[in-house]
Formats: sequence, structure tokens, C-alpha cells
Amino acid sequence: MSDTPSQAQVKSILPKWVRGPQDFVGGIALMAIAVFALWASSDLQGMHGFSFGAGTAPRMFAVLLLLLGAAIALTGILNEGPPIAAYSWRGPFFVALSILFFALAIRPLGLVVSAFSSFLIAALGSHETKWLEAIIVGACLTLGCALLFPYVLGLPMPMFPRFLIQ
Amino acid sequence: MELFANLAHGFAVAFSPMNLLMCLIGALVGTLVGVLPGIGTIATVAMLLPITFGLPPVGALIMLAGIYYGAQYGGSTTSILVNIPGEATSVVTALDGFQMAKQGRAGPALAIAAIGSFFAGCVATVLIAVLGAPLTKLALAFGPAEYFSLMVLGLIFAVVLAKGSVLKAIAMIVFGLLLSMVGSDIETGASRMAFNIPELADGLGFATVAMGVFGFAEIIRNLDAGSEMNRDLVQQKITGLMPTRKDIADSTPAILRGTVLGSILGILPGGGAVIASFAAYTLEKKLAKNPSRFGRGAIEGVAAPESANNAAAQTSFIPLLTLGIPPNAVMALMVGAMTIHGIVPGPQVMQKQPDLVWGMIASMWIGNLMLIIINLPLVGIWVRLLRVPYRLMFPSIVIFCSIGIYSVNNAPVDVILAGVFGLVGYWLIKHDFEPAPLLLGMVLGPLMEENLRRALLISRGDWSVFISRPLSAVLLAIAGGLLLLAVLPALRAKRDEVFVESES
Repeated sequence: MSDTPSQAQVKSILPKWVRGPQDFVGGIALMAIAVFALWASSDLQGMHGFSFGAGTAPRMFAVLLLLLGAAIALTGILNEGPPIAAYSWRGPFFVALSILFFALAIRPLGLVVSAFSSFLIAALGSHETKWLEAIIVGACLTLGCALLFPYVLGLPMPMFPRFLIQ
Repeated sequence: MELFANLAHGFAVAFSPMNLLMCLIGALVGTLVGVLPGIGTIATVAMLLPITFGLPPVGALIMLAGIYYGAQYGGSTTSILVNIPGEATSVVTALDGFQMAKQGRAGPALAIAAIGSFFAGCVATVLIAVLGAPLTKLALAFGPAEYFSLMVLGLIFAVVLAKGSVLKAIAMIVFGLLLSMVGSDIETGASRMAFNIPELADGLGFATVAMGVFGFAEIIRNLDAGSEMNRDLVQQKITGLMPTRKDIADSTPAILRGTVLGSILGILPGGGAVIASFAAYTLEKKLAKNPSRFGRGAIEGVAAPESANNAAAQTSFIPLLTLGIPPNAVMALMVGAMTIHGIVPGPQVMQKQPDLVWGMIASMWIGNLMLIIINLPLVGIWVRLLRVPYRLMFPSIVIFCSIGIYSVNNAPVDVILAGVFGLVGYWLIKHDFEPAPLLLGMVLGPLMEENLRRALLISRGDWSVFISRPLSAVLLAIAGGLLLLAVLPALRAKRDEVFVESES
């Protein structure tokens, strides 16, 4: 497959002393998350007397995550471990795009348009997709959802594009 | 006796036509999900949460419970017939079940799986009814310090029973705890890490996170596998469902052991159905006179894990209903469902909402009965469903999940967040982090923080309160001991062995 980056390429970025890249990168990323959380909660009040402030618990957990992330990264240096797994871009990209499109389109364009379009965008994520088949199934699914959610389940939801109704 | 009065009351509630229908729908949907690989129980329960909004609380929870144990049934069907475990809980069933099917004994394998599940379901139902009241009394003696220690114990259990590195599992729990801090502070109302995004003021919805990490991430990962996902279906003809007398004699002790093991592992926090089926299979193999039969169509290898996973699926309701503490991710979603209906899970629920608790317990038995009656004749239909190619299934799941998340709060931001967590989940899978402890941490986070703060407030800032109170000290000691055991090399090797078994 052309859309999988080669492992050698990823590996070459890391220095030689990293023997378990999967753990090393994982640990570093968790540390980054922890630092971000520490920064995000820095404006919150800490302990006053013996009672917790709003920021105490978040900072406590963030520090804990920082330490754990460091420990995981350290195991990646000390122990032989698996390389970083190959990522493909196609599946994640189109599925994420489909979700994003749905989120942005549901309010202005309504359920029918956004569900059908999102279906087709998601279908791009697989190279096995056959278009005629996908369009038929997408249309049936849209129809089913359009009946199920607003009518059978009574969940309020815009159905058609706003500009058509007005 | 009070027990029988309670159960009778429960059956009266569960036998109302509406609740029977809910139970049936739940069991059927659960089986469907169990049959289809690529969409797990957690994602389904998360996806169907909004559907239950319009229902009365009892009906809603009966349906969600039905989905959970129905999935355990459905997963076994495809494991046996086509060697595709629809659920993680039936991975081990495929080892021997599929071999039996190859030998033309699919019928007895399916029948034993169903009988074992049903038996385990019956035992678990009684167990919930028996243990419910005393545990509730115990829970009422709990103060904030005990609650905090109990949750620590639960999280440690989740770590010990999780697959792979202990360190990574703990990191995932802490990540989950950190995520649960987003939103308004319970006591001061201060906005924490919400970046002035109004949708975050109430915190990250865990239905959103669950759908992302378990639903979307799973889809993306399956797409990676690409054409390997093509399922070559072996068309099995099922002749004769009846097991022979020897089959029954062989599998009876296995079913009994599986049920006991599953019931225990289900109650323990962090355990749940997946680990129960692995453990039951390993136990049978250890006890067998001739272990080499396993993997070549031993009926015990089907009977034990199937009984265990069903027993565990049901007994995991015990900590939820009595202590208000969800022992696994599906139960965490049940907490969400209860909260949406204005019910706060915990010891008070048994007294204040007897309809709900006992109705749900009774419905589990009814649901199990329905499953055994419905499923055997429907086997053919379930197998045909597997023919739906993944290239059509995954966009459908994406759309269905998106609409589901949107309808929880009518918030497009929730859909985007779920998408982001889908990518996060994909990354976690790639780095061999387990997402299940993350969700558990996220759910227990607010409860833990609240009880920690309260305990320290009562003790005037004295941290020794967690050790000076005997109950709390015992719980913490068990947690510490467990963690130590998990890190000790001897036990580690054994623990890894169990998981290696399941992957082969």
C-alpha cells in the first residue's frame, strides 16, 4: 500500500539509544499532555488551608501523569521494544473529515444532506469502495435515519437545509 | 422472605408488555452487535444512549442491560460458525468452537454455548438478588474515606487485569482522571481547563469520549487492515443441535466452574466479561486430564468461557447497583444512562427505586430465556449478516454514531470532540495503550475527587484518615498487595501467559 509510511523512515528520526520507540514516543506524548494540563490549570486556585482548591486535583493528576509518562519513556530507552507501528493516512483522514463535515453541516443543512454526504466522504476512506453500491446504501441509510431519529424516537433534529425551508 | 418478595416485585415490573418489549429489543440488538465484528459493546451502548432518552427509566435500563448480555450470546455464534469473534469476550470460544464446527459438530457447540450462557445467567441473576441487600447495608457504613479507597482498589484491579504493561495501564487511568477534571469544579464552580468553550463547561461527556475511543478509533483501525477484513465464509451446514450425552457430561463441570469464575471476576471492579472468558478457558485447560484436546474441538473449551462471560456480564451490575461504582466501561455508560434519567447510582437506589433495580434484575433472567429461544433458530440469519462487506458497514457506523452523539445534547461540538477522541484512540492503539482503563478513570474521576476532598475536609487535612479508618485501611492494603503482585515477575509471567493464549 502506498499510503503507509515506511517504518525505517520513522525510525531514522529517533536516535539510536531509543530501543523501544513505541514506548518512548508514547511516554513523551503523555508528558506533553500532562504539561499542557498543568499550564491549562495554572490559573486555578490551589490549596487553601487544608481544603482543596479548584486546581488542586487537576494539578495532582497532571503531575502524576507527567511522572508516569517519564517512566514509560524511560522503559523505551532501557528496554528493547517494538518499533512505531505503521500509520495509514487514508482511513483516519476521511473518517475524521466525514465526522467534521457532519458536525458542521447538521445545523445549517439538516439531517438528510449531511448524513448522505458524510456517508460518501467516509466511504472514501476505503479503497475497496464501489460507488454505485455506496450511493444506494447511503441513500437507504439516510432514509432510515431520517425516519428513525426524529419520528420513531422523537429527537428534535433539522431535516432539510435551512434555505429550502425559509 | 424479603428476597422472594423483591424478586416477585421485580418480575411483576419486568413482565409488563412495555418492559418485555424493551428487553426483547435490547437482547436482539445486543445479539446483532455481538455478531458483527468491528463494533463493540461499549460503542453500541454509547450509540444507543440517546435512543433511550424518550423511554421511562426502567425500560431504558432494561434495554441497555439486554444489549450488554445479548452481545455475549451473539459473539459466540460467529466465533463457532465462522471463526470470527464478534466480541472480545468470545475470542477464546473460537479456539475450540470453530474446530468443532469444522468437524461437523457446530450444532452441539452452539447448543452448549447457549445452555452454558443461560445457566450462568440464571445463577448470576440469583446472585445479584442475594448479594444486593447486604452489600447495600455495607455501603451505607461507608464514609468518604472508604469510598475513595474502594475506588482506588477498583482502579488497581483494572490495572492488574488489563492487558500488557502495568505502567501503561496506570498511565491510562491517570489520563482518564485528568480528562474528567475538565469542566466546572463541583465545589467552587470554577471553570477548569475548559478554554471558555461553553460546551466544555459541563465537562467532557463520557459517551462522547467512549464513542470516539471505542467506536471511531476501532473503525479507523479496521480500515488499516484493509483487504484482510474480507471474510471468507465457510458455509457450514448445521445438522442436529442436540448435544450427545457425552457432550453434556463433559461440559457440565466446565459450565459450573465457568459460572463461578465469571461471577467472581464480574463483581471485582476492573474485571468484566473479557477477562472472565480468558480465565475460564485457561482454568479448564489446566484441569483437563488431556490438555492437548484443547484447540482441537474440546467442548469444555466452548462451555466454560461462554458461561463465564455471561455470568461476568451480569454480576458486574452488583457494584453498580449497591455501591454506585461502575466496575467497567459498559457499567460506566449505564451510570450515564441513570444520571440522564435523574437517578444517582448508589446504595440509596435499592431503597428508593425498587421498581428499577428489581425490575432490571428480573428482566435479565427473562432476557436470557428469550435469547436461548430466539437465537438458535435465528443462527442462519446472523451468519448471513456477516456477508455485509465492511466497506459498506463502516460508513454506516460512522453516520449512526455521529447522529447519536449529536442527539445527546444537540451539540455539533460533541461530534467534533468524538472525532478528535477517535484519532486519540487510534494513536493509543498504535502505541499499545489500552483504552478501557482510560474510560474507567474518566468515570471514577469526579467521584474520587469529591470523596477525597470530603474525607480531607472532615479529617481537617489529615491524610492519615485513609489508614486510620479500618475499612479504608483494609481496602488500601488489598490494593497495594495487588499492585505488588502484578509487578512481581512470577505472577507477571503467568498473567502474560493468559493473554498470549487468547491471541494465538
